[in-house]
Amino acid sequence: MTAHIGTVARKDFSDAGRSKLLWVLVGLLVVIVAVGYVAIWSTIDDVSGAEVLGFLGFPLQVVLPVAALIVGYMAVVGERRSGSIKLLLGLPPNRTDVVFGKLLGRTAVVVVAVALAFVLSLVLFGSVPFVDWLAFGALTILFGVTFVGIAVGVSASVSSRGRSMALVVGVYMVLVALWELLTAGSYYLLYDEGPPLEPETWYLLLDQFNPIFAYTNLASSVVEGDIFPFQFQYGLESIEAYQLTPAERYAGSGDAPFFLQEWFGLVVLVVWLVVPVAIGYYRFQRAEL
Amino acid sequence: MAAIRTSGLTKQYGDLTAVDDLDLEVREGEVFGFLGPNGAGKSTTINTLLDFTRPTAGSATVLGYDSHEDADEISPRVGVLPEGFDCYPRLTGRRHIEFAIETKDADDDPDELLERVGLAPDDRSRRAGEYSTGMRQRLATAMALVGDPDLLIMDEPSSGLDPHGIREMQNLVRREADSGTTVFFSSHILEHVEAVCDRIGVLNDGTLVAVDTIEGLRESIGGDATMRLALDTPTERARKVAASIEGVTSAAVSGQTLECSVVDPAAKATVIVELERAGATIRDVRIEEVSLESLFTTLTNGEDERAHHSGQNPETAADSVLKNPDSEVAE
Repeated sequence: MTAHIGTVARKDFSDAGRSKLLWVLVGLLVVIVAVGYVAIWSTIDDVSGAEVLGFLGFPLQVVLPVAALIVGYMAVVGERRSGSIKLLLGLPPNRTDVVFGKLLGRTAVVVVAVALAFVLSLVLFGSVPFVDWLAFGALTILFGVTFVGIAVGVSASVSSRGRSMALVVGVYMVLVALWELLTAGSYYLLYDEGPPLEPETWYLLLDQFNPIFAYTNLASSVVEGDIFPFQFQYGLESIEAYQLTPAERYAGSGDAPFFLQEWFGLVVLVVWLVVPVAIGYYRFQRAEL
Repeated sequence: MAAIRTSGLTKQYGDLTAVDDLDLEVREGEVFGFLGPNGAGKSTTINTLLDFTRPTAGSATVLGYDSHEDADEISPRVGVLPEGFDCYPRLTGRRHIEFAIETKDADDDPDELLERVGLAPDDRSRRAGEYSTGMRQRLATAMALVGDPDLLIMDEPSSGLDPHGIREMQNLVRREADSGTTVFFSSHILEHVEAVCDRIGVLNDGTLVAVDTIEGLRESIGGDATMRLALDTPTERARKVAASIEGVTSAAVSGQTLECSVVDPAAKATVIVELERAGATIRDVRIEEVSLESLFTTLTNGEDERAHHSGQNPETAADSVLKNPDSEVAE
């Protein structure tokens, strides 16, 4: 039933791999890493390779989601609009193969891009602690793949390019620009006050379900120094609150529950990968082409 | 087992009924032409067979498998040339074929297939984005032929092809049929169907209005052929001889010409033989067949002007009385 996922993925990778736009994005990623390094290296004295790694997290959390969303948002709907999906589905691959083959193919593009950027960082700064570098790289790949999943899921769910783009942009806006308004805003409406340093537990769980927070929290624990999430802030939370992890803000006695631990960020990333793909898969199975 | 069978197949889009309770059977080994004006429901029917759309009611089987439930059993055994498709603009023609070969687990030679559809060697390693419509059509046809399918389903295979390309496509269909492949193809152009099909089904407004061989259709719609014989001395005796032959419905003399309406094609030879025997000198014989064009117009009621295609043979004009005078030549 799923025998053709690999074939579709390889074709998709070689097809997407010939797209200039994608390589521009990859190049952008690599250039940002290089420029970031050079800038830090030349302005700050006595900076260790491990610290530099931490600085990388800030541009990556902004650029990588955008790049991954652009790589993925046309994956399935693009073929539907052009009609090449009919050529593809006329052959043995079925719709399952298409969705997961596309997911794999586009994932490969993002993995290649992140891997190139990280290899470059290793070349530029041979002195980085290798284990940290590897863990940070793997985490960043997972972060990128999560956004590929969101984009491919959206692209499988809709029937027009415009809707796919609107949804993808909408998701990104919610995660970057509206998150505090939605979470802390709800808290405000419920309790007549913004979330305090030690708010209700449900709020901490909800708040950390942002994949960008999940990434920065996890990254902070992997590399030296803290990586703060890039977010629009509305002042509904105190400045101190922005600097604390969910576990540190837990109000109850004893250890924070598992879903506020740092490793739970991995679950958050996987949820953001799996749920959109599942919705896209479900809708694409039932679509009229 | 029927290669394709639909039972009560119905597809509605909101208020529009694209296919209405369609019962269709395509036999194994035949070339079946699926004819009808644009918008008659041909593509909707084919899209259902390929599981691109799902029927509102009824069902369809392809090679005995349900078109939706067993779609995975069908696709390895059929070759598909869809309508309104596009190629992958960044991949070469050859890469398309290699991909099709990979998915079908076949061992075809890409160049041999591309040769068969007439895609020039230089073009095979070019990106499909640079291809003309006709070249894309050829490329997709080659993809459909990968793995020597039991059944070819082709939606408007001649679209985008020039007259030469259309002839090549017809030859290709014939060759595939000769090698035992069942071919089901749709067209709104009569000549293309007439040239290669064993049987045709005519679809109009989502309903099958006729299924028969072309000969059968001619007969059932009363398509008499007219024989015009130029005689040295047309006599009443010659008229009577001709009129008495079985298969000749009427004979009339006008000037030097004897006109006979012939129902049975075989009667034409008899007419000539009998007239010679009766001592008449035949200087010329002209035969005017009922054109498929007029048959088609009769069947589809001449409603759909977009769909008409004028067969460019000089005899069409004489038989165009049935044709809607407003109709315009398309394509």
